[in-house]
Amino acid sequence: MLSSPFAYLDAPDGELYRRVLAAFTYAKERFVVHLRPEDIAEFLAAEGRVPLETVESKLKQLDEWGNLRSDPDTGRVVTVEDFYRARKLYQLTAEGEAAARAVQLYEREIGRRGELQTVALEDIRVRIRNLRELGGETNPDPAKIHNLLLELFGRLDSLASNAQAFMNSLQRTVDLHDVDESAFLAYKDRLIDYLQRFVSQLANKSHDIAGTLKTFDEEIAHRLLTIAAEREAYDAAFDESADAVAERLAEWEHRWSGLATWFGPATDRHNQANLLRQRARKAIPDLLETVGILQERKTGHSDRTADFLQLARWFATAPDDATAHRLWQVAFGLSTARHMTGEVVDAEPRTPWGEAETVDIAPQLRATGTYTKRGRPRKIEDRTAARAKLAEKAAKEAAELQSAQRRLATGEPVKLSDLGQLDRLEFRLLLDLLGNALAARRPGRDGRIHTTTSDGMLGIVLEPVPGGAIAEITTTDGVMYAPEHLITVIDRTGRHHD
Amino acid sequence: MIEIEQRRLAAERARSIRALLHEPMLTPAHAVFGDARRHREWLRAWFARECGWPLIDSPAVVRLRKQGLEGDSSRGAELGGIALSRRRYVLLCLALAGLERAESQITLGNLAQRLLGLAGDPKLVEAGIEFTLGNHEERRDLAAVAKLLLGMGVLKRVAGDEQSYVHGSGDALYDVDRHVLSATLAVTTGPSLVNAQDIYTQIAAVSTETFPDSDDARNRAIRHRLSRRLLDDPVMYYDELDSAETEYLTKQRPHLLRRLTEETGLVAEVRAEGIALLDPNGETTDYGMPEEGTEGHITLLVAEQLARIHRETPNSEITQDSLLRHLIEIAPTHRTHWKKDATKPENLKLLLEVALEKLVALRLVARRNDTVLARPALARYAYRPATITGGQR
Repeated sequence: MLSSPFAYLDAPDGELYRRVLAAFTYAKERFVVHLRPEDIAEFLAAEGRVPLETVESKLKQLDEWGNLRSDPDTGRVVTVEDFYRARKLYQLTAEGEAAARAVQLYEREIGRRGELQTVALEDIRVRIRNLRELGGETNPDPAKIHNLLLELFGRLDSLASNAQAFMNSLQRTVDLHDVDESAFLAYKDRLIDYLQRFVSQLANKSHDIAGTLKTFDEEIAHRLLTIAAEREAYDAAFDESADAVAERLAEWEHRWSGLATWFGPATDRHNQANLLRQRARKAIPDLLETVGILQERKTGHSDRTADFLQLARWFATAPDDATAHRLWQVAFGLSTARHMTGEVVDAEPRTPWGEAETVDIAPQLRATGTYTKRGRPRKIEDRTAARAKLAEKAAKEAAELQSAQRRLATGEPVKLSDLGQLDRLEFRLLLDLLGNALAARRPGRDGRIHTTTSDGMLGIVLEPVPGGAIAEITTTDGVMYAPEHLITVIDRTGRHHD
Repeated sequence: MIEIEQRRLAAERARSIRALLHEPMLTPAHAVFGDARRHREWLRAWFARECGWPLIDSPAVVRLRKQGLEGDSSRGAELGGIALSRRRYVLLCLALAGLERAESQITLGNLAQRLLGLAGDPKLVEAGIEFTLGNHEERRDLAAVAKLLLGMGVLKRVAGDEQSYVHGSGDALYDVDRHVLSATLAVTTGPSLVNAQDIYTQIAAVSTETFPDSDDARNRAIRHRLSRRLLDDPVMYYDELDSAETEYLTKQRPHLLRRLTEETGLVAEVRAEGIALLDPNGETTDYGMPEEGTEGHITLLVAEQLARIHRETPNSEITQDSLLRHLIEIAPTHRTHWKKDATKPENLKLLLEVALEKLVALRLVARRNDTVLARPALARYAYRPATITGGQR
């Protein structure tokens, strides 16, 4: 008979089976191995009575699945009915125990942790609401506030550390690290169910918490935290000196800002609740993928991880490096082709290589190993003076260009006709900018052209002015007429103008 | 105008074929990637028709799966010109296995942790491969593997560097490119499905190709085998072919060579002993012949010496020692051309080793213990005084 110790998970009475098995593991921890149906019924009664017949049928079923082993019960009986009933003693089989343990592991690692967190979230939610109410009162009770805050941050601490552990065990499961594969497959639906529940709880509750947090303006939060700090300072040393209070207040403020980032705006990179939700949500497809991989493995499809591992083993057992190189080339097919370079020698196809003409090798290459002739390098001229002159010229040009940029890149929209007199360089810059803007792209939906110069230093916004007016721009070299536009030039380099 | 356009396209296609023969996995980091992507349909059809090699492409990678190769021990993976040790091959495979399960980003430290878990595999331990990350040397190995993966395009460095990880002062962060990762293997059967103990059986098992049992399919398979060798290997000698291949080649040689040279820019040199496709561009190959530089020069001189002896007394085995003596003899004339200290006898010995390895890789010589035997195509490199054309200046 085939044993299937995980079958009970998907059975209609899965929960009851689980409790029956829990009774066995619980008993085993206290070194009680054999159990009678009556013992089980008694154990189950703690969570609601179950008829003995039901218990017996469940035990029989578990026996068939291979979780339990039954032996005839030869103990003394005290009623006639008992004597005629088929009496059995049950004990966990090794497989049943392993299965129960694997399931427990998931329960503890992921299921229970997920539940823990939703409880913690609920606590946080309630306390924040209470705090908000107290914050609205004119004369709140400091003890209440202080206690609420203490509880609130206690819960947040445990939530944070729990979330970490939860994510780690989830990742381990996804990576199939020290995971019982068949247990995982049997348990997968519950796991994914848990996760989905967890994700939706997290979404609702953290949204609610974030909403309440938004209603705390700085003043309220500050007032509440000050009350707590004062009370703490006083509790600690009957010391209401400003220093002690300020110190405590700083601590509380710090914790409060931590709370704010935990549940802050969803766009914040540090919003932990959001991160946790994202990771948990991402874990679902990951788990499904893992399930897929396992199923594939079972059906004999190759999976790449297994392929790479197998190749690692083959490389490890290769007799020598030469064979390892061959294996590399065959398995990865990443090696280069290889050919002789140079020119083909013309000959009849039936000519042996030994009788055909030989290759023309450049005499220079044959004699020296290089195609290029080497001689004495030319004398190097001293160009210091010329370089200095060039540098000076470049500096002067840069300074002029900068002043032109300062003149135009004000960051404010200006009409072309209001630009005033432009010198030669300023005008050239303006033409460049206009050219850039007009060549760059079509106007956006707002009717403006937005663009950036190719060096990325200046941003340009160009907007035609309706009415068909013509702007006159006076420059050192003459007057330019152009359709009136509003031009905004933005300096993107972050240089400050004085 | 139309003709010019046609020529440009043909040149792009030829360049892409050559690039893929040289580097079968192209990523956007390669200059030719754009061409290969543009012509992917054409390239896929060409490689499928000529060699039966599948071409896979996505915006992240164009990959020619060179399947069914026989394996050549002179074309292993290299890093900085040094062939990988077996140990590094093992780590590379473990790293790939670890990356399969990684998120979209990973650090070298994190990868190391994964390797630690994977390296506990009983078969590896049995083979004496240990990986504990305990010392500098092991971290160097891991950094080398990371560099290989960077070269393959499986990883892209985001921050940090491998060196700081080796010194234990930092770490490196990478993006994992899943497209490239999924294209790294060119096996026809997953190794995990092969249950053979002997490496040669293993190699054969992962490279077997099946084709329908019909005359057409059989002929196509033969043609593909020949084309693969011609495109991938420096020389194809007739005495290495089986009877079916020989028969096919006798009938179809001109036709086959035309197909292979027309679109690739390679040129065929046909002789009584075999065929070599030459690459005038030097784009499909890692070793050229001839090549510039000290090593290239010495390789040429050794080839010349061997070819001369071979032309005088065919099939004579030449000892490595006699070749070394010859090098020592001619070294003084080249002292100014070669790298510093190249003329010291112990360095010449190393350079001779490099030269012989190159000649073996180019299938121009065969080695047995410490003797060297010239193969037919080596005769191309016998020395012949240059003929001066044109008048005196």
